[in-house]
Amino acid sequence: MSVRVEHLSIAYRTRSGDVIPVDDVSFSVADGEIMGLAGESGSGKSTLGTSLIYLDARMKHLGGLVELDGGKLPIADSRAMRPHRLKEISLIPQYAMSALNPTRKIRRIITDLLRSHGMRDREVMSELKRRIALVGLDISVLDQYPFELSGGMRQRVTLLLSTLLNPSLLIADEVTSALDVSTQRAVGELLIEFRDRGFVKSMITITHDLSILAQVADSILIMYAGRLAEKASTATIIDAPLHPYTQLLLASLPAAGVRYDQTKLTGIPGHPPSLANPPEGCRFRERCPFAFDRCTATPPFEQVAPGHYVACWKVAPT
Amino acid sequence: MSDVTASPEAPEPAMAPLPGVPVALPPAASRHRSDLVYYGLRNRKLVVGLAVEALFVLAALFGPVISPDNTTAYYLPHLAPSAQHWLGTDYFGHDVFAQLVVGLRESYLVGALGALCAAFTGMALGFTAGYRGGLLDEVLQMITNIMVMIPSLVLLVVIGAYLKTRGILFEGVFIGLTTWPWVARAVRAQTFTLRSRDFVDLARLSGRRAHSIVIRDIAPNMASYLFLVVVLLFGSSMLLAASYDFLGLGPTNVISLGTMMNQSTQWSALQLHVWWWFVPPGLVLTGMVAALLVANVGLDEIFNPRLREQ
Repeated sequence: MSVRVEHLSIAYRTRSGDVIPVDDVSFSVADGEIMGLAGESGSGKSTLGTSLIYLDARMKHLGGLVELDGGKLPIADSRAMRPHRLKEISLIPQYAMSALNPTRKIRRIITDLLRSHGMRDREVMSELKRRIALVGLDISVLDQYPFELSGGMRQRVTLLLSTLLNPSLLIADEVTSALDVSTQRAVGELLIEFRDRGFVKSMITITHDLSILAQVADSILIMYAGRLAEKASTATIIDAPLHPYTQLLLASLPAAGVRYDQTKLTGIPGHPPSLANPPEGCRFRERCPFAFDRCTATPPFEQVAPGHYVACWKVAPT
Repeated sequence: MSDVTASPEAPEPAMAPLPGVPVALPPAASRHRSDLVYYGLRNRKLVVGLAVEALFVLAALFGPVISPDNTTAYYLPHLAPSAQHWLGTDYFGHDVFAQLVVGLRESYLVGALGALCAAFTGMALGFTAGYRGGLLDEVLQMITNIMVMIPSLVLLVVIGAYLKTRGILFEGVFIGLTTWPWVARAVRAQTFTLRSRDFVDLARLSGRRAHSIVIRDIAPNMASYLFLVVVLLFGSSMLLAASYDFLGLGPTNVISLGTMMNQSTQWSALQLHVWWWFVPPGLVLTGMVAALLVANVGLDEIFNPRLREQ
């Protein structure tokens, strides 16, 4: 088990009390696994991803633990976390295209990163040059400023930076969101390539786009309103989902070869609940067509088949 | 963006010849610097301002060589400007030109000292308050506000009363330590906007230390502003020093432009029509500061691309 998260809860401090976008979350990612993390906007998926590496001033660690390669990550202690960042756990942010300092050349940005982890650039330079070629860039980008590169090039540079020290876990947060479809595919294949070459041991890909995950991920974890709904291998999630939310989510995707001028694309009726004041019990209850009286209690996130976890009373083994 | 779609094919051929990846010469290696030089030389304000300033600096550096006399030699008092004494002599019979070039030097020295002290203190506090935020920011803001409230002239009188002699060093440091608050405020505000930028966020996520982020990520993005602040501080320190000297609060053991004007007032130069005693220091001071400000406007136009092509 490369990454193990147990009962992790993260809160945002607000003036009207804590808002808990990550509530009692447990899952694990094996070595070499690319796990997709999907959910609607505001379901807590980005918070979960970021909290594994950096808790900013608004975020509070309520409980739970994170293990990486058998060692405990001190995620609540920012100072103790610092040496782990980039080296063992790294993140490609949502804003990968604007994540480079406009006043420094790429080479200087890399030197700064290495120096802050007590390394010299000579140690990694030859490897870095190989990787630059691997992602289809020219060595000359090292002597260019970020604004001289296109958005796609900047994104690939950011990808290189965050995987430079071969982290055990890479969190890719919405890396494909701002790209056109063919570029999305290229980035997805790059992520797989990086995993296959061992640049990163395992990966969590955060997105709301299930079609990207179907292409990239080995397993998919579905989040809803701060809680985990379902986790299974990609094939199982796509072909035989058990949680009603996953089923409805997949049903609301447009089908290939169908024109939607006559039929209307169906969505999930209703809205996700406010996390400031979440309802008791199953959080999907209000929108769920199968809801019954037992749903007023919180369903456990249980294994129903090998590697298939669901939090729903309808499918829970009784 | 078309190059991005080609990337899945690109890796494989590129991976084959491992060690000898051809290193293309960077076309953009020194474009940034030469850009500044190009616009700098074309900017008339900067060129004229710097030329005038350079003239004064040369006069300050080589003053004693140019001036035929030294400041302590005695001649007849109130001699009008002549070939012998370019700017005449004062009430005591000292050569005014000799005093002027020495005074220039003191003005530059005080200006530099004051600017450095103020810039250092202001930036240190501004960056700390802006980057850390929170309680530390509150405390530092309070200190800054208190410093703004204290009238520096009164403070100088009080401190001066306890000192036997006041030197150039004291005056420079005093000016520096009383003018930093506006630097701190401006730097803090700029840091606030920069610290929430994406690249600063990523630097934090990748385990960079706070001081390294401030020095390498935040400061370079306001470098032109910081540079202009130092130039402005330099000019204002010289003016402040001259006004302290004129009031008799300046250094007690040196000749400066301000003390020259102080002396000329005390010995009724205006009433006796000895204009060559007080006009030259005033003109020189005005010229020094004005040239600096003109050059500053020019620099602003060079650093700020939006002002460039007008």
